[in-house]
Amino acid sequence: MAPLTEAEFERLYEANAGPVLGYLIASTDRHDVADDLLQETFCRVLAHRAAMSQAGMDAAAQRRYLFRIATNLLRDRWRGREDQPFSEPAEAGESRNFEASIDVHAMLRHLKPRERELLWLAYVEGMDHAEIAAATGLNRLSVRTLLFRARSRAKQFFSAGREAQ
Amino acid sequence: MNHQNDPLRQAMRSYAAGLASTHPAPPVSLVWFRAERRRHQLAVERAERPLRMMQMLSVVFAALAAAWMLWRAVQVDPPGMPGTGLLLMVGAGVVLIAGGCWTMLAVSRRPSS
Repeated sequence: MAPLTEAEFERLYEANAGPVLGYLIASTDRHDVADDLLQETFCRVLAHRAAMSQAGMDAAAQRRYLFRIATNLLRDRWRGREDQPFSEPAEAGESRNFEASIDVHAMLRHLKPRERELLWLAYVEGMDHAEIAAATGLNRLSVRTLLFRARSRAKQFFSAGREAQ
Repeated sequence: MNHQNDPLRQAMRSYAAGLASTHPAPPVSLVWFRAERRRHQLAVERAERPLRMMQMLSVVFAALAAAWMLWRAVQVDPPGMPGTGLLLMVGAGVVLIAGGCWTMLAVSRRPSS
């Protein structure tokens, strides 16, 4: 099978750059870092383009592959402690912004990095447990448990916000 | 996960839509250019690897040869050539070899533009 051409790469980028960038911004809360990681993600795709086309990936598999690379890059970054705007959950007594009915940004800040990733993949990208497992490298059972926990924490956050209002 | 009307899901999706509209992805040409440049750098590094190994080997052999010459110069005192003069000549040769090796390594380590 022929490696990824420039036109194919362009199609892949147009279809997936936006969602991957959203995921990276939501995970890092830094647009500059997210931009950099997005470019790095696609650079890695191009570096392994032959393997990607030999594997005969369909659009959904390519999407999962991209999210997997992005997730690995996020982990590398946090492991290296290069930046951690969102790496620790907010303190319990920390003031929250309840001006908006549902403040997703504050909620993301409240979650742990992995919870944030899983919730985003499930709710924004609409991935099921198997797809999330493929995109994050976790097993399905862990995804199920962690996602349940993330969802509970997010809902708890919002219900606490409503009570405060 | 088929709670399509879940308020949390809706809130996150509208947040994502807001992010997409306020912060679009960089142009594809930029990413392509960056990836191609990196691919080129990797290819050059791969191609230069055997050459760099040969350079290292040649430095090791040059150092061994210089040490051997120095050792021989101390041992042998040929007729018509005073010992100190020969030692100085060999010493200068060793310094020249070491200087040449250092220059070669310094040049090979300099990043190519």
